[in-house]
Formats: sequence, structure tokens, C-alpha cells
Amino acid sequence: MIEKLSHNDLVILLLAISTMLILSRIVSELGKKMKLPMVMGELIVGICLGPTVLGAIYPNAYNFIFPLKTNPHVSIALDGIFSLSVIMLLFVAGMEVQLSVVLRQGKTAIFTALGSMIIPFSTGFAVAWFFPQIFGMAMDEKHRMIFALFLGIALSISALPVIARILMDMNLFKTNVGMIIIAAAMFNDLIGWLFFSFVLSIDGGSSTHLGLGYTVMYIIAFGAFMLFIGRKLIDRALPWIQTKLSWPGGVLAMSLGLCLLCAAFTESINIHAILGAFIAGIAIGDSVQLREQARDIIHQFVTNFFAPLFFVSIGLKVNFIDNFDLKIVLVILVLAYVGTVLGATGGAMLGGLKKRNALAVAFGLNARGAMEIILGTLALNAGLITQPIFVALVIMALVTSLTSGPLIRKFIEVEK
Amino acid sequence: MDYTKLKRRSSYPFETIGVAVAFSPRLEALLAEAKIISDAFGGQLLLMHIGERTRTKEARLDETIRKLHIDENKTRVIWHEGNAVDTLLELCKLNIVDLLIVGAMQKENMLRYYLGSVARKISRKAKCSVLLLSQPNKDGTRFRKIIVNGVENAKTVHTINTAVYFGKHLKAKDITVATEVQQDGLAMAMVRESTAGEAQKMKKELTEEELNKVQAIVTNVSEREGIEIFQKQIKGKPGFAIRQFAENRKADLLVINSPDLKYGIMDRIFTHDMEYILENLPTNVLIVHSRVSE
Repeated sequence: MIEKLSHNDLVILLLAISTMLILSRIVSELGKKMKLPMVMGELIVGICLGPTVLGAIYPNAYNFIFPLKTNPHVSIALDGIFSLSVIMLLFVAGMEVQLSVVLRQGKTAIFTALGSMIIPFSTGFAVAWFFPQIFGMAMDEKHRMIFALFLGIALSISALPVIARILMDMNLFKTNVGMIIIAAAMFNDLIGWLFFSFVLSIDGGSSTHLGLGYTVMYIIAFGAFMLFIGRKLIDRALPWIQTKLSWPGGVLAMSLGLCLLCAAFTESINIHAILGAFIAGIAIGDSVQLREQARDIIHQFVTNFFAPLFFVSIGLKVNFIDNFDLKIVLVILVLAYVGTVLGATGGAMLGGLKKRNALAVAFGLNARGAMEIILGTLALNAGLITQPIFVALVIMALVTSLTSGPLIRKFIEVEK
Repeated sequence: MDYTKLKRRSSYPFETIGVAVAFSPRLEALLAEAKIISDAFGGQLLLMHIGERTRTKEARLDETIRKLHIDENKTRVIWHEGNAVDTLLELCKLNIVDLLIVGAMQKENMLRYYLGSVARKISRKAKCSVLLLSQPNKDGTRFRKIIVNGVENAKTVHTINTAVYFGKHLKAKDITVATEVQQDGLAMAMVRESTAGEAQKMKKELTEEELNKVQAIVTNVSEREGIEIFQKQIKGKPGFAIRQFAENRKADLLVINSPDLKYGIMDRIFTHDMEYILENLPTNVLIVHSRVSE
């Protein structure tokens, strides 16, 4: 017999979604007045609606609106929506990666990006590998390796949207330093997500089917196909889609459809769906034919519907008080700041920037924002990390994002 | 070699005009264009062929020079063997060539484009200004409508002045300085945290800031001599937007800055800036090498 959502299940599902959307919007808008990022408002709503606050004070109300453990139908439906949300978020993240911007900025951007990845990755990897007990992780060698790889990636990734917003607000977006930060962040995103997909795929049991070599080969082959051939095909198809099909429905449906198709493909070959979505985003977003208006519409749709659902859902699943571990939080914060600031400053100076501007670039790249939270959530769902580590990553993402702007301002020395 | 004379040499006047001679079917048309241009600028003509020197080639070149009434007193012919691009560029440096005229296909086939044709390689590497003629004409091209890429760059002031100099001598009707406005990252930065008004304001500020900088350059162009200079803002990716604009406007000449970076195969795969223009020449292209940073 085919199971489906009952009338009651559907009511609860719709109630849960509308509660998340409306409350997160209200709290985020209030937070915005206090210059806090929207994602913070969404996380707070999630924490308040989840086991941390509502579940602790009114467990019946929590279990009624979000019956994640008691109603498998609603739980699966919500899980599907959250999975779709993260795929969509990675798609728009990919849309902002423009390899031409990285190439245009030349060696300064490449050195900065490499420095801001290699040093935090190495320090994160080394600490996780040699001192896993700090994180309360006791495991065999294979899982220790995967955890160390993950922590390295988590510390070396940056958050392009947060950085872009900070630079816009400071009127630094079009300056040399601003463009170097953006280009380096794009490069970080590309390498970071490719590498993370690899880590997820070797951990997810897929290695039994594919093996390490095949996983790497598939990732490279898929990336190369989409970026070299797929991109050219999209370039040819987009003018037709944008002029012959209904506007903006045509481009929206085709873009999101391609995103899901690529996500399905990578998932089917045992590489995580996020890789397909991310690469599809790059291929579409980098097209010269994509109208700015189309880009805006895709962004609006994804970031105003899927992003709040995703970020609220984090608080619904994790108890932030029970899982708060000061030691882990401090270790991750120190690793994040020291690794990125040392690495990016060194890289930027090697690339030709003066020390103060190199520091400004480093603090710009230190903002982890929503990308870190997405990365952490995926790792938590895949069982790579524990809830206390996840909580520490969320706190690190917020702290680095909040401190990034003031620290850039403190060091920057540019002619606008 | 002593290249000190080249350093900080102004991008104009064009005192020595080089021509890359390839003995293709378009040789006569290319030399006819070169003659008209060198006559207009009163410059020396330097015809350079990289390849084997044969009697047939010599005879063909002599005959073409005579046919076109090219002043032999103001013309030198150099024959040299070696790598076409490197040798040609070396000869340009040695002879302090101010403008190198090269015939170029409007669009190369895909393999040739990625591997790099002589004309495209010269455009990327030359240390002098390069004029790419996509359709050389025996009667001479009329450069009536000129478009200049007004990007925010220290070289742009020299490029605009060179375009005016070029236009003045070749009787251009008007020059349009087109500024490309690409709002990279604006969508991701504004979409979540801005009201419609804030987003609009920020877009306007970014656009105006770039336009004002180019406006200041245009205002300071002194020797216009009857050429009207317009300013235009175009939206889109740098390089691609100006290519489309030049195509749509049916421009006779597109004038751009020389590249800031050394372009390689990756720049062709992930096309950007000048590579969009080289990928598919919208018209004749003048790449101004202003030598400001040398």
C-alpha cells in the first residue's frame, strides 16, 4: 500500500513551513535594524522553535508543530524540503562563482586564495588528526582521517554573500582590495565544495561501490564536462530560452531544472547532490547570456524561500544549550582566526599587497557566514561530526561574520 | 638589446607603422590599408615577413608595392625566419614600431582559437599598439564610427587620447566612449538584506561612480578637432558587453586597452575581458599599448 500524507499531516506540514517563514522574516528584519545578518535571525528562530527553547518549555507544542520524531510522514516531508533547500542554496552559491573574475585578478587573488586555504586547512587537519580527543571524537583511523579532512575544509571555506555584502556596505566592493577578496573567496568556494563533496562521497559508504580513484575521477570528469562543454551549451541555449519562452518562467524553470538534474546525477553516482547543484550554478551563473534580472529572480526565489527554511531547520534539530562546549568553541574560533589571517595575509603579501591591506583581505576572507553553517549541517547529517562540533561551527560562522567588517575597516588603506 | 627608448614612450604619434606580411590572398588589401594609414599619420612603413624569403614572394611584394604606389623612400622591408609571433614582436621592439597592422580573421575555428592564431597571439603579447583589420579593403576602410572601451584603468586616458588622435587623422565622424557596468555580486549581496529602495540606491551609486571617473577623462580630452565625443553606459560582462555594443552599433573601429595580464589558455576557456573580443571580432580592433607601467 502506498503511504501518503494524511489530511492532518498536510495541515501540520503547512503550519510548520508557514511558522518558520513568517517568524524568521519578522525576527530577521528586527535583527537587520541592529545590523545583524539575516541568517542570525533565522538561526535564533530555529533555536527558539526547536528543542533548545520551545521543546524544553512546551514540549507538546514543539511536538505538535514539528513532529520530527513522532510523525514519520511529516518528518520525511520536511526532510525532503530541507534537502531541496540545501541543494538550491548551493546552486545560487555556484552562480556567484565566476572563474573569469579570479583570472582577472591574477596572481594576487590566486596567492591569497591558496594561502587562505592551505594554512587553515593544514592547521585544522593537524589538530583534528593529532588531538581528536579535544573534540570528543574517538574513532578508527579511517574516520579520524575523514574528520580531519572535514575540519580542514570547514576552516578554509569562506562565505561569498556575506563578504560581498560587507564590502558593499563599506563602499569597497569595486576597489582593488575588494575585488581581490571576492576573487579569492570565489576560488575558495570552488575548491572547498569540490573537496567537501569528495569527503562526503568517500564517507557515505559509496567507497564500497566506487573506490577512491573512481570518486576523484567522476568528480573531475563531471566538473570538467559541465565547466567546459556544459557552459558553452548553456551559453547557446540561454538566449533562446530568455526570448522564446515565457519570461521569467522559462529561464527559472530551465535553470532550476538543470540544477536538480545535475544534483540527481551526482547523487546517483554516489557523489553528493550538492556537487551537481554547485557546478550547475557555476555553469549557468558564469554565462554571459544570463540576464541580470534572471539572476536576481533566481536569487530572490531561493534565498527568500529556501534559505529561511534551511537555517530555521538547524535549530529544530539541535539543542544549542546541551551541545554547547566552550572548549570546542574556543579551539575552533582560534583555529579559524589564526589559520585564515596568517594564510591569507601571507598569500596576499606574496601576491604583492602591502601588510595592512593584506590583513584587511584576510579579515574579509575570515567571514564564514551561511556557507559554514551549510557545510556543518551536511557534515552533521552525514555523521562526520558531533552536535557539539556543529554548534561550535555555527558560533564560529556568526562570530567571524560579525567581526569581519570592523576588522577590514581597521586595516584597510585603499584609494577608493 | 636596449629597449630604453620604448619605455614610457607615448602611444602616439604613430611614427613607425609595422605591417605583418603573410602573403595571404588579402595581402594587397592589407597593404592598401597600411598605405592609407601611414600616409594619414605621415609615418614610416615597415613591412615584416617572418618566413622563408623566396623569389616568388619578393616579386609579389614588389609588384604590390608598385601597384599601390607605396612610397619606397618611406618604406622598409624586413625578411626574417623564426617563430612568427616572437620574431615579429622582437622586430617591433627593435624598430620602435608604434603601431602594428595585422590582418585577422573575424572568427577563428574553435581549435585554432584555443591553440592561438598569430594575430590573436600578437594581440595578447605585443608591446606596441596593434590594429587588427578583420576585413581589409583595397579602397581603404573608413573609420567613421569609433567606439572606445572606457574602463576604469590608468591606461584608459591614453587609450581615449590615442583614439581621438587616430580618429582625427582618419576623419572619424564621432567617437563613443562606452563604459561597461557589471554589477558582479550585487545580486548575492543585496537580495536578502535590502529593501527595494536600498538595492536601487546601491546600484545607482556603483554605476555613477564608474561613469564619473570616465566622464572626467572625456572632459579633459583637449584636441577633439571637430570630432564629437559621446559617452555611453552599457551593462554586461566586461569585454562581451563592448563587443556586442560595437556589433550593434556597426562600429568601424573598436579601441581597447592592452591587457594588464599575460593571457593564457585558461583565459580562453574561462573567457573574460579582451578574450571576448578576440573570440569574435565585432569590427576592426585597435589595441592601445600605452606603456604607462613600464
